[in-house]
Amino acid sequence: MSEDVTQLNGEGKKANYWKSLNQLAKNDEYKKFVDREFPEEATELTDKVSRRSFLRVMGASIALAGFASCRRPVQKILPYSNQPEEVIPGEPLYYASAMPFQDALTGIVVENHEGRPTKIEGNEMHPASSGSSSIFNQGAILNMYDPDRSRYVRRDGERSSYNEFLSFCKEHFSDTDRNIAFISEANSSPTYNRLRDQALDQFSNAQWVTYEPFGEDNALEGTNIAFGERLRTVNHFDQADVIVALDDDFLNPAANKNSVQDTRNYTQGRKVESPEDNMTRFYAIESTFSMTGSNADNRLRLKSSEIELFLYALAAELSGSVDGLTEFSGYSNKFTDHDWIGALAEDLLANQGSSVLTVGNEHAPSIHATVAALNQALGNAGNTVTYHEVPYLQDQYNKDAFESVVSDLQAGNIDTVVLVGTNPAFTAPADLNFSENLQNANTVIHLADYYDETSKLANWHINRAHFLEAWSDGYSFTGTRSIVQPQIEPLFSGISDIEFLNSIVTSEKTKGYDLVQETWNEFISGSFQSNWERILHDGLDEEATFPQASVDISSDFQASVSGFLNRASETSEMEVVIRPDSKLYDGRYANNGWLQELPDPMTKITWDNVALMSKATAEKLGIQQAGLGVAEVEKVSITIDGTTVEIPAWVQPGHADDSITITVGYGREGIGKVANQTGIDTYPLRKTGSMLYATDVSVENAGGAYEIACTQDHNSMEGRSLLRHATLQEYREEPEFASYESSYEAELPGESYAEEKGSDRPMTLFDSQDDEEYPDYEPQWGMTIDLNSCIGCGACTVACQAENNIPVVGKREVSNGREMHWIRNDRYFEGDVDDPQALHQPVPCMHCELAPCEQVCPVAATTHSDDGMNQMTYNRCIGTRYCANNCPYKVRRFNFFNYTKEYLTTGDDPEVVQMAMNPDVTVRFRGVMEKCTYCVQRVNKAKIEAKKETGSPKPEDGAVQTACQQACPAKAIEFGDLTDDNSKVVEAKSNERNYLLLEEVNTRPRTSYLAKLRNPNPKLA
Amino acid sequence: MAQIFPKWADEIPRRLLVGAIVFLTAIVAGVWYFFSPEYTDVGYAPQQPVDYSHKIHAGQLGLDCQYCHTEVFNSKQANVPPTQTCMNCHSQIDSQRPEEIQKIRDSWNSGEPIEWVRVHNLPDYAYFSHEAHVNVGVGCESCHGRVDKMDVVSQQEPLSMSWCLDCHRNPEQHLRPVEEVTTMGYQVENQVELGKKLIAKHNVHPPTYCQGCHY
Repeated sequence: MSEDVTQLNGEGKKANYWKSLNQLAKNDEYKKFVDREFPEEATELTDKVSRRSFLRVMGASIALAGFASCRRPVQKILPYSNQPEEVIPGEPLYYASAMPFQDALTGIVVENHEGRPTKIEGNEMHPASSGSSSIFNQGAILNMYDPDRSRYVRRDGERSSYNEFLSFCKEHFSDTDRNIAFISEANSSPTYNRLRDQALDQFSNAQWVTYEPFGEDNALEGTNIAFGERLRTVNHFDQADVIVALDDDFLNPAANKNSVQDTRNYTQGRKVESPEDNMTRFYAIESTFSMTGSNADNRLRLKSSEIELFLYALAAELSGSVDGLTEFSGYSNKFTDHDWIGALAEDLLANQGSSVLTVGNEHAPSIHATVAALNQALGNAGNTVTYHEVPYLQDQYNKDAFESVVSDLQAGNIDTVVLVGTNPAFTAPADLNFSENLQNANTVIHLADYYDETSKLANWHINRAHFLEAWSDGYSFTGTRSIVQPQIEPLFSGISDIEFLNSIVTSEKTKGYDLVQETWNEFISGSFQSNWERILHDGLDEEATFPQASVDISSDFQASVSGFLNRASETSEMEVVIRPDSKLYDGRYANNGWLQELPDPMTKITWDNVALMSKATAEKLGIQQAGLGVAEVEKVSITIDGTTVEIPAWVQPGHADDSITITVGYGREGIGKVANQTGIDTYPLRKTGSMLYATDVSVENAGGAYEIACTQDHNSMEGRSLLRHATLQEYREEPEFASYESSYEAELPGESYAEEKGSDRPMTLFDSQDDEEYPDYEPQWGMTIDLNSCIGCGACTVACQAENNIPVVGKREVSNGREMHWIRNDRYFEGDVDDPQALHQPVPCMHCELAPCEQVCPVAATTHSDDGMNQMTYNRCIGTRYCANNCPYKVRRFNFFNYTKEYLTTGDDPEVVQMAMNPDVTVRFRGVMEKCTYCVQRVNKAKIEAKKETGSPKPEDGAVQTACQQACPAKAIEFGDLTDDNSKVVEAKSNERNYLLLEEVNTRPRTSYLAKLRNPNPKLA
Repeated sequence: MAQIFPKWADEIPRRLLVGAIVFLTAIVAGVWYFFSPEYTDVGYAPQQPVDYSHKIHAGQLGLDCQYCHTEVFNSKQANVPPTQTCMNCHSQIDSQRPEEIQKIRDSWNSGEPIEWVRVHNLPDYAYFSHEAHVNVGVGCESCHGRVDKMDVVSQQEPLSMSWCLDCHRNPEQHLRPVEEVTTMGYQVENQVELGKKLIAKHNVHPPTYCQGCHY
């Protein structure tokens, strides 16, 4: 069928796009899947297990107070007894706050409906977010309403109370000479750090360790080697002309705690409005095909263990031309003559002071030090890369300190262990035997969100409050100070980090509010109350940065270089790279259904982690089926240091050969309905010697059949030219490259006929229409998606899910092709299977003016609105699914089962999950079609407001933001009124890169795309 | 051969036919009438937890609707007043029925809300906004009837989709100047003429497409 389509359209200039290996091979498996609108068995819910494991994580069938008669249900109205100020029933309130992730805050604004937070957006005033958000920000709301969170204090596993804990503290911590080890998450809160200092003062034999499984410690140690100071590295991608990322997935929130700001800056440098504009050139050198790598102009696949060699070869090449790298001169290894070294060095030298070199956090300190030295030598330091003194980053924040605490534990030298938030029993390097050694302590106290792996070993488990429930404060990655403001009373009476720590120190329960105010008394000069209120309102104190350090390469670094160079050895063995998961991070988001069901940005796998490898490596291991879309795949058994884990194998085109990537965070037990038994726990493979990668590994084909729910072939549009892209050079030569004519080298079907008939718009099969561009009514809505900005992160998908009450359907249903996401993110490969380029394309409903779905609905459930939206009327829909069949874009989603009701009304505590729902959007019932509505609830609200204020239903440009647009950290999406000539969306649509998806079928979509551009180095072509 | 059926048997099919037609018509008419909101919903007047009389407050005392339903111009909900609003007066003023006032005071003292029974109940998939309507001059009584004459609030209009559309298609029949929105018993002679003027003034284009209300 796809061949027919290609014939019909003429050969596209760039026809070699593919989503999966099956598609590339055009084999039967692929055809079988694609030719059916929905896969086989798609009408029966056969799997009992998945039915049970439906997330009962959000919820909302409206609570009916009972049936007074069969006439209709009686509803009660419960007004406040004493109505709080500012609350207007029916109108949401927005409060600024900040979301902590490791030790970096992102400013957020939380939408509250009658005291119930329902949606998180970025705070436009906050530099770390600028109004955008990441998948973790978006998913946080579901974490708060997670009914599986720990609900009470436990003592030795038995239910207890916080008061009992306080009296225990009073007695236990009255002995201040105890050997206490505090193990904490990274936390930037000044209040927290004040209490930490207090604790260390009070307990003379206490030690404090900050432990993060994927922390910043190697980077800090790197600057320590290079500059003699532990400094935070801040990259300014917006000011760079050349970016070189060494195994650094810096656009991915799981790999970079400042990803939202960095993504914004990165796309800023690559925005192209006209052929005269320049764009940053981005080189990625990496083993895994990461989301960041997929955005690179030039990408080199290289084993992670060889990154070091490559870097030293580059340093050696540069050493002749810039000062400060003399120790590298004369060094050579197998990369010295590599094409890339010369080309990179040339580009970097041409852009001294305006380039950025960056390396992945988990790489060794020596590599970070060399990168820092290169940035300094190239004149980037102080310009595009700045180094900052972060006051709270103590020496304890490194893995050695954690290891030494564990050995103290082993030796029985520690009496009491206090763990704050962190979960080392799950995440600590396996060879430390943390769980075992923890037993040597007399008392273990653990504050945690879930009754998790570490809590089960603890004498005291204290249930932690979510950040939306508690007062706190902290710094953004770059140093802007904010207060974390609670939105709701703790649902399960949780205790916040600072309240907990304060209880340890004082044996009292002081309110978090008072603790934060005590800290901020120091920060606020002038009137405390008015400033405090201003800071709460704005969500930040003032835009500030940590003090910038002026750096110089230390003599220590020069002395250690020869050591680095000697240690870096060539290896030809297989390596296994261990990374945080794009969606679950270190496992802390494992019980979040939105994140579990979000397709991974690159593999498009949901609900599982896999071992990624190149096709050549898979063949070497004798793996046949890996990566075949819906098929069941073989497993590989990976052995590192005597520990073996079996994990499904998956071919990732573009992966480095002889390298296998696995992610952590899956395979948890006893956490919650979503997390349990989902995926495979790979932490046992992570040892102190292999925090990023292990080279002494054995990998074998373990056979078997494991079903993977992967969405890459779902909703296929079958090989039509959907993606248009060009290099910057090509764009300058032919600015109209994205047009239909240029892409297919053919005339748009129907155009000459239209000319004959004297119409300036192509004729269509559908209703004849007059030549008016838009109907009479104003506004007329439209959208553009700039593929040049889109990085493929999926924040739009999760934001849409949160805004529109989209159900989570579970692994089995996803593998049946029934995921419900209204905006999917297609990832295409282009070119050679071993080393392809990847492109991302988000596809929501196109809101066609001549919508094919509307023509076939027998009950007029999908029709057109006056303001130009293709509307879906749930209460009319009878579920024929004709519309989905006739949609050329495959954007319609069908409720095969009562997904929403299933998890809203079952489970232990459905009322908790019901609170997460957006009251402005109907929840859909079984048998009903649904799809993107352009966030009509926001549109209608803005129209009503505009009407009230100006008398016209045309909201100002920017007054309506769709959920996807608002979340997008790359600001790739514009939405607005097409009849407003000054609107941003009209401006975007007038760009020559603007093109319509499947323009030839003449559906006249309201959503259009701006073609992607790359800026590759011609020398590496 | 003698006839098996007597002569009158000829009438049977005819009568059956007529009977069937009458029967079917009756069913259709019955469903049409008895299953419609006009029959099922109009007149619904549930017993409220507090025997509050709009007739006394809005009618005899002449309180404006907005004294209690404060947010009708600002929110999609007109809002049922908090107990606090009752206490504005009833902390001072007693009633002839102290047991009713006691319920309010109990609620005020305990902080527990009074559980009013909802009278005007739209389906969950219909998003109705009070502010969109009153700000262009749809009067309270157009949907809620003469509340100032009701001891117990009852539903006066069917609130069915066709009833909504009647007005959305011919708004001139129902519009009034915004300052008269809360007036009870508002009547002008030249309603259509006034309505047309107001439509032009407020740029009124009531949506008749689905997503105007359903999303």
